[in-house]
Amino acid sequence: MRRVTRARLDPAALAAAVSSPKHGGLAAFVGVVRSVHAGRRVKGIEYDCFIPLAERELARILSQAEKKWPARVEAAHRIGALRVGEASVAVAAGSMHRAEAFEACRWVIDEIKTRLPVWKKEKYVKGEGRWLPGCSIRHR
Amino acid sequence: MTRTIELYGRLRDAGLGDSVKVELPAAATARQALAALKKTLGRKSGLVDGCSLATDEDVLLASDPIPAKGRLAALPPVCGG
Repeated sequence: MRRVTRARLDPAALAAAVSSPKHGGLAAFVGVVRSVHAGRRVKGIEYDCFIPLAERELARILSQAEKKWPARVEAAHRIGALRVGEASVAVAAGSMHRAEAFEACRWVIDEIKTRLPVWKKEKYVKGEGRWLPGCSIRHR
Repeated sequence: MTRTIELYGRLRDAGLGDSVKVELPAAATARQALAALKKTLGRKSGLVDGCSLATDEDVLLASDPIPAKGRLAALPPVCGG
């Protein structure tokens, strides 16, 4: 499974990948392109990415999460042109208990936002698109 | 030595395409490479502010020497998700 992909994300497949008969909790997060941002009507987002580093960094994040919590975690980030309503990122965490699943899922999406070399250019219904401001990439 | 630096995110708006070539001294650091990139961008040099330099394996600290081979990329502040 490619974790950084131009293909549509499949959150159900991610959930299945972290499922186990021993897991009583499964938490998932799906980020979706929304139609309004800062008062402007959005028609889509173009995701840019330095793919080789993004794939390595995402693998490192997932490995670190599985060391921090007794959980199995999986995630994928979509790149390219996305329309409103399409999923841009998905995370799934399965664990024996819900607390660890929620915590691992939350931690992974927070790390993705500060460590993955990904950028988004919002396209608006009216006017030119713009690159959204981000945070300086965090060293692991 | 001449090195190619790949451009991503807002740096693509500099009008220089997907990458630029810069002249660097031997054993240059990431800081020196970003300074060379800034010089190349001229009046759009502000786009480099807040950027980091990375290989395809890691983000480099400013004081890190750049590896002799492999890809180099200038990374603006990130906003995945």
